[in-house]
Amino acid sequence: MSRFNLAVKLLWRDSRSGELTILVLALIIAVTSSTAISLFADRLQRTMTEQTADFLAADLVITSPEIQPSSWSVKAHELKLDEAQTAEFSSVLIENDEMLLASIKAVSRGYPLRGYLKVTGSDYSQEQTMYQGPEPGNAWVEKRVLSALKLKLGDPLTVGEKKLLVSQILTYETDKQGDFYSFSPRVMMNDADLQSTGIIQPGSHVHYFFQYRGEAHALAEFNRWLKLRLNPSQRIMDIHEDRPELGSALSRAERYLGLSSIIVILISGVAIAMATRRYTERHFNATAILRCLGLKQRDILWLYGCQFIVLGVLASGLGCLLGWLVQQALFHLLRGLLPQHVANPGLLAVFFGFIIGMAVLVAFALPPLLRLKQVSPLRVLRRELEPLPTSAWLVYGLAFGIIAVLIERYTHDLNLTATLLGVGLLTLLLLGLLVYGLLRLAGKLLPYMGLTWRFGLQGLLRNTQASVSQILAFSITLVAMVLSFTVRTDLIDNWHKQLPENAPNHFALNIFPEQQVAFQQEMLQNGIRHSQFYPVVKGRLVEINNLPVQKIVSKDSQGERATHRELSLTWAEQLPDENKITAGQWWQDKPIQAGLVSVEQKLADNLKIKLHDQLTFTAGSQQIKATVASIRALDWDTMRPNFYMIFSPGTLDAYPSTYLTSFYLPEAQKNVLNTLVKKYPATTILEVDLILKQFKTILTQLTQAINYLLYFSLLAGFTVLFAAVYATLDYRIQEGAIIRTLGAKRSFLTKIHLIEFGLLGLIAGILTVVISEALIYSLYSKVMHIDYSPNVYLWLLTPVAGSLFVALAGYSGIRHVANKSPVAVLREL
Amino acid sequence: MQIQTDIAVENIIVAENLAKSVMTSEGLLPILLSIDLRIKAGESIAIVGESGSGKSTLISLLAGLDTPSTGMISLNGHKLTAMDEDGRAAIRNELIGFVFQSFQLLPGLTALENVMLPLELTGDKNAKTAATALLKRVGLSHRLSHTPRQLSGGEQQRVALARAFVTRPVILFADEPTGNLDSKTGATIIDLLFELNQENQTTLILVTHDQVLASRCQRTIKLDSGSMV
Ligand SMILES: Nc1ncnc2c1ncn2[C@@H]1O[C@H](COP(=O)(O)OP(=O)(O)O)[C@@H](O)[C@H]1O
Ligand SMILES: [Mg+2]
Repeated sequence: MSRFNLAVKLLWRDSRSGELTILVLALIIAVTSSTAISLFADRLQRTMTEQTADFLAADLVITSPEIQPSSWSVKAHELKLDEAQTAEFSSVLIENDEMLLASIKAVSRGYPLRGYLKVTGSDYSQEQTMYQGPEPGNAWVEKRVLSALKLKLGDPLTVGEKKLLVSQILTYETDKQGDFYSFSPRVMMNDADLQSTGIIQPGSHVHYFFQYRGEAHALAEFNRWLKLRLNPSQRIMDIHEDRPELGSALSRAERYLGLSSIIVILISGVAIAMATRRYTERHFNATAILRCLGLKQRDILWLYGCQFIVLGVLASGLGCLLGWLVQQALFHLLRGLLPQHVANPGLLAVFFGFIIGMAVLVAFALPPLLRLKQVSPLRVLRRELEPLPTSAWLVYGLAFGIIAVLIERYTHDLNLTATLLGVGLLTLLLLGLLVYGLLRLAGKLLPYMGLTWRFGLQGLLRNTQASVSQILAFSITLVAMVLSFTVRTDLIDNWHKQLPENAPNHFALNIFPEQQVAFQQEMLQNGIRHSQFYPVVKGRLVEINNLPVQKIVSKDSQGERATHRELSLTWAEQLPDENKITAGQWWQDKPIQAGLVSVEQKLADNLKIKLHDQLTFTAGSQQIKATVASIRALDWDTMRPNFYMIFSPGTLDAYPSTYLTSFYLPEAQKNVLNTLVKKYPATTILEVDLILKQFKTILTQLTQAINYLLYFSLLAGFTVLFAAVYATLDYRIQEGAIIRTLGAKRSFLTKIHLIEFGLLGLIAGILTVVISEALIYSLYSKVMHIDYSPNVYLWLLTPVAGSLFVALAGYSGIRHVANKSPVAVLREL
Repeated sequence: MQIQTDIAVENIIVAENLAKSVMTSEGLLPILLSIDLRIKAGESIAIVGESGSGKSTLISLLAGLDTPSTGMISLNGHKLTAMDEDGRAAIRNELIGFVFQSFQLLPGLTALENVMLPLELTGDKNAKTAATALLKRVGLSHRLSHTPRQLSGGEQQRVALARAFVTRPVILFADEPTGNLDSKTGATIIDLLFELNQENQTTLILVTHDQVLASRCQRTIKLDSGSMV
């Protein structure tokens, strides 16, 4: 115990020197960011699992475009399961000359089986929790509905042909599904009123949800029983699939955030390693004396080990606290994407950040610290006796190990981890060599430079390894920031650019065949330009050459998403504009042969569909077979209706279809929508401008969250800078004193320091620009298919900002060197 | 900054009532007490005294590396105590050369670059020629591109001598220049120092422990606990 006290006492004395401050700062930064991410991920996970049932409003939910087969109800009853049912569809509501596309939900008795609803009366402060939906004849609506339609509570609201009474304001709905396309406000009614609205007709677009509640084994049994009986358009809901805004956007965000926190850890680790190295070197003499006084190697290790553990515990503790705050801020930033009620974090998640802190300390500080064990007591007599450097295997092995574990944790994919590690390592190595080469090249220029520049550059070349680390730390951080910012901006700009003036900004879906001519007439009269009217049959691709498609698709691919939902199947005589045949031929026989299909190229590639393959689709409970006659390429970014599958005319005649078109409506003519939807209440109109706007918000929020973490890696970059500055402090003080003894002014020292750090920042900035542009170029041309153009501001601003900030930070770290009295040369250093 | 190089100023160093104390955790610690000193141009002075008696402190004041607590110093007619640090830096560059016990060469620079440095600081275009000539004079013409690490202690001190004389200083301060060298090497360095001193007519202020060495100077000043005795 007394040894421990000694360790703490020594630590307290050492704490006044700068290198421990840097070490602690770097550690706090690493712990803060990993705690924040771990808490964030954990709370998300918990929210998703704890509330799965609540999200679905039941224990088990089947979604289907058709009503429930009566046999299911019988079976559910047998198993003593409680049942409920909802039906969702879009409908345009018109009241007081105002019009609104609303998402109607008709709920049965018993809904919600899990979770609850919240409503308020006219008194907004009084929120009431409800365990059932509205009574027949009533409607509960979101507040938006009232303001949009100039209604108040107690007013009548007509849905289709049924007049309902608005009795409550709906504030929370346990199973609200919010993806980009269903942001229209909710109107909830009783399903006893559904028939009398007259909206439900064959072919109209309704989603039914059959909900069950009961004992776990009964549910499992029912699940098994159902699986054998589901037709392809019916599906057991799964939280990960059916909350795409949570499932995919957030798990992707979680992954990106996790990976950026690894960058923070890596960069902080470098700072910790540098600071510890300097700490170790400064303690060689003291250690030699302690060894002379009789401490064994083991004691030395224990002594310093204790100090670092105390440091680690303090810094990690503080980091956890800060991480908690950051995580709160993250949730605040992303609140638009998240459910209202987020679960509390588990203790383990807080602990994770703490463990990361200690692990980072061990991985990056232990190897240099081990050198102290090697210090020979003979050093008291012979100062030049240096302990052996720690084995490079240990130094890099530990660091590599912890990074690998972390990447695996965030990707949950060993292959991806290996790839990321390999590519990352190779890139770092190459970049390191590049910077090293550049610095050596600059060294060749030294003799041709003026005194000030020579000294400035020499500052960089003195410890090339440290300079390379600093330059890489800053470049990696800046590249990440530049990427996340540029890609977002370009993506949004690009959408705006790609939509030419007068590009369609509305889609009209669910136009019934008998209304199609009238609808088209209406548009002509109003001078609205529209695209072709396409017939649509909803169907799923189930087999390719009689093999179930689920066996063919790879997980998380475009193909998987396309086969998981109903596709809009259409037919056409002519090849639509902007479609190009890349293989096979568009139908040419006259009369056109039925039973052929043309497949979009990317989907075909993804599902490995070739010409003459036999595809099987289901529409409702019927099957359609077709042979692939051609493969088409098309541009998805145009706002025209695009189709994965176009059949030859005649193939789909037997199935109920609706029509779909897109049209351009200038802002001033928006009131035309009024008349359109009044006349065609079953037709759904999507306002594309709104969808894009929504998407833009989500993108902005996500990149903001990521940038937020990148600020941490920027901070970590500065700790590397300061660690390097401290490592050379003794030398700088001596150099400054000698130069000033020889008659140099303080301003000369200031100048050479500014030049040194300015150059460091400049090189990092230029490297950043080159790497980011290369990445952006390949990303745009290979993945996102956006036009690439070099960004002038990026080229100008990044190097300038880099050199400015690094120069100021570095200079402020050593400004007192220039003010140290030159008398230091007379005292032994 | 205009600098007088008038040899007619008889006393090239004048110090009056010089005192220095420093603030320590135990209070004000006097290091030098009331020193009065007049040194003529071309004179050579030895400062002797026990370790800790204040020798280094005294020359740091005389050379303008530090400021006294009280008193006045003038070098070659310039009142050092009335100047700011940058003014003193200019004086150091023009008038003064230094040799230290631990050589104090810049480890990142070669021998030649170390010697060129004081000239380069004044923007002298002939720095290289002058530095090369002096290194040749101290017998190191074959080690020009070597860094201090590659040189022995004696060789390093020769480089330091060359650096001290390259600006043709009027006054040379040497603080125990042989303290880190063995006696034989030390002797050759001292010979070289006196030779260069003769050639350049430099005023020499030499701090030493060595009585023999002190006796080679024209006058000896003894310090004891911060006072002249
Ligand atoms: N800045 C300072 N702070 C505290 N004590 C100092 C300082 N400078 C010098 N001293 C003390 O003043 C005394 C004289 O120092 P110094 O001039 O170096 O002596 P010498 O060179 O004769 O050995 C010593 O005891 C030294 O410890
Ligand atoms: Mg001394």
